[in-house]
Parts: sequence; structure tokens; C-alpha cells
Amino acid sequence: MPKCIKSEGQAIDYVYKLLSPEEEEPFKEHLKNCPDCTEAVQSYDAVLQLTDKAQAEVTVPELALQDIEMNVYKRLASTHEQTLFSRIRSHIANIRSPFGWYKTAAASSIAAALIAAVIFIGNPFQPEPTLQLPETQSAYARIEEYRQQDIQRNLEEALITHHLRNDAWETESRLQRMKEQAQGTNWTKVADAHLQNLSSNN
Amino acid sequence: MDKLIDDEMLVAQFQSGRQNAFDELMKRYKSKIFSYLLRSVRNYEDAEDITIEVFFKAYRALETWQPKAKFSTWLYKIASNLAIDYHRTKTRHPVYALEDMEVPEANLVANDLYSDPVRQLEDQERGRIIREAVDQLSPKQKAVFMLSRYEGLQLKEVAETLDMAEGTVKIHLHRAVKRLQTLLRPLWENNEI
Repeated sequence: MPKCIKSEGQAIDYVYKLLSPEEEEPFKEHLKNCPDCTEAVQSYDAVLQLTDKAQAEVTVPELALQDIEMNVYKRLASTHEQTLFSRIRSHIANIRSPFGWYKTAAASSIAAALIAAVIFIGNPFQPEPTLQLPETQSAYARIEEYRQQDIQRNLEEALITHHLRNDAWETESRLQRMKEQAQGTNWTKVADAHLQNLSSNN
Repeated sequence: MDKLIDDEMLVAQFQSGRQNAFDELMKRYKSKIFSYLLRSVRNYEDAEDITIEVFFKAYRALETWQPKAKFSTWLYKIASNLAIDYHRTKTRHPVYALEDMEVPEANLVANDLYSDPVRQLEDQERGRIIREAVDQLSPKQKAVFMLSRYEGLQLKEVAETLDMAEGTVKIHLHRAVKRLQTLLRPLWENNEI
């Protein structure tokens, strides 16, 4: 710890490159004559070197990133479905309730009055322009797109692995993954044919 | 073209109905957000789940998003809030999945004249100690340190991300570095860098 009055904060800012040029130059000059601050700077610098090196070793596997987009759209689709489902469920619960009919009748009357008001006096509400939130159909279309991409990517990877690296295990796992993704499509036949070829070659 | 304009243009395109623009934003940021979360939660599965949640929330909030700050800052803000929620609700100890995957055992076998399994094990152990030291920082110190050091955010951006004053960010940063210095002193004193 520096005993110097210059403050530890300035040493950290210097190492972190947070000092302005007007502050940095005098501090550099100060370092030439202050062993406390020099020691502090060296020690903070060492800390940052250590943490930088350790964090650089943390890598994100490519495989973990592959399905992010598709899973985001799956999440969107399932939320939309849940919203629809809960609306239907609450509507049914209302009908079952002995007071539900009154509520429905009251809501219908208000709706009829609003429609009449719109017809006779114009739209009383000025809706703000809104973005169309993702409909289930749209989310499913994106999921399907990503599924197709995944199928093709796995097939390509399988062929590359087979022909260039001759790695039977990796090729098979790629084909199995492709087959899994391709359930219900003709791509499963393509995967099966490649898997058969692979096993007969072995 | 400027990256800021690029992101904003993509957001504008998305807001006017071009869904592919969001895919481009995901492609651009998924790796950064994933690695930020991985460093924070230290568990691959949870980092993946939270990354999905970040983009899910971003998708739904983009309707009303206004470019007051950079898109990436806003995205980090969502990620950072979710990471804080995760740490609050997580009662069990972190799963040290990172260490399991760092250096696979097979790689520790001397497969050529230059490989040094002992050195690899030492590096692995040193990495574990350092990451555990970072984990010992308070949640705010850790968030400030990670965003500024590993994600390359300016202090102003860190302040926007964490809803703090810039001065407060600096205080947390100073405390974080000093705490790390205390925790890691044995390593650099033993010339292990």
C-alpha cells in the first residue's frame, strides 16, 4: 500500500488508463521519485495481468452458441401460446362462474355502446402507432428457418468430417443430430442413407 | 460505417417490421453476452439460458426502445440485471463447470516434445484461484470490474448499464482492484505471472 499522499486511486486510474493527459504526465513525473506509488502501480498492474490472463482462458464453445437464435424464437412462441391459453382459460372460468354471465353481459353492452359511439361520433380513442409484436406464426417461421439451417450445417459438417478428417465418431454424431433436427421431413432419409454408408464402410 | 449507426439502423428496421434485423443483432452480440454471463454465473447451462432470456426480453422491449444509449449498453444492462437476479435467487453453490472444461485430461498427456502437463495443471490451478478471487468481489464491484475490464465498456457506459453515477462506478472499480490485489498478492509475489 502506498504511504504517499498521492492516493491509491490515482495509481489505479493510471494502470487502468483512466487519467487524462493533464493528470497523467505529472503522475508519471511523480512516479520517478516515489517508491510507494511505483510499488503500488506495479502491484495493480500485476493484478490486472493476472485477471486478464485468467479470463482470456474462458472461452465460449461454438456449439453453445449455435442454437441461441432458435431457442429465443422458441421462447417467444411458447410465451405467446401461454398468453393465448391463459386468456382462453380465464374466459372459460368466467363462463363457469355464476357471476360470469353478468360480467359477459356487461362487457357485451359496453362493447356495443363503444361500437355505436365509433359509428356516430367517430373513433374516441387515438391509438398510438405500435409495432406488431411477434405472432406465434412468425416465431414458428423463424424456428423452422433455423431448423433448416441447422440440418444443412450438420450435413455439411458431417461430410467435411468424413471426407477430410475421416472421423467416423464425429461424422455419426453430426448425422444423428441432423436426423434429430429433421424429424418429420425427408431429410431423415438423407441422414439414414449417410449413416448406412458410414456403417457399411466401417 | 459507424457501429452505433449500424445497430440503430437494425433496430429501426426491426421496428418497422423487418424481423431479420433482430437476427443480425443476435448474431452480432450473442457471443459477447454469453461470455459476459459465463464469467458472471460460471456455469455453461445457466449462461446459455440467461443469454436466451436477454434476447427474449430485448425482442419484446425493442418496440419502445429509444436510442438514448448505445444498443449494446442497453443489452448489457438487461444481461447485468438478469445476472444480479440469478445471484440473488441462486441458493446453491456455483457449479465450477468452467474448470471441468478448461483443459481436458486428454490434453494433459504429453503429446509432443514441447508440451508440459505439469505446467498446464499449474496454469489451470492459477486460473481457478484468480476466478475465485473475482467471485469474492461484491456483486457491484464484480459487475463494474467485468464490464470495464473484459467487455471494454467505458466508465460512462458502465454507469449507464448499472444505473450508477460515474463517480460511484469509479469507487467500485477502485475497491475491486484493491480487493483483488489483496487476494492475489501471493500469486504475483511468487512470480507466478
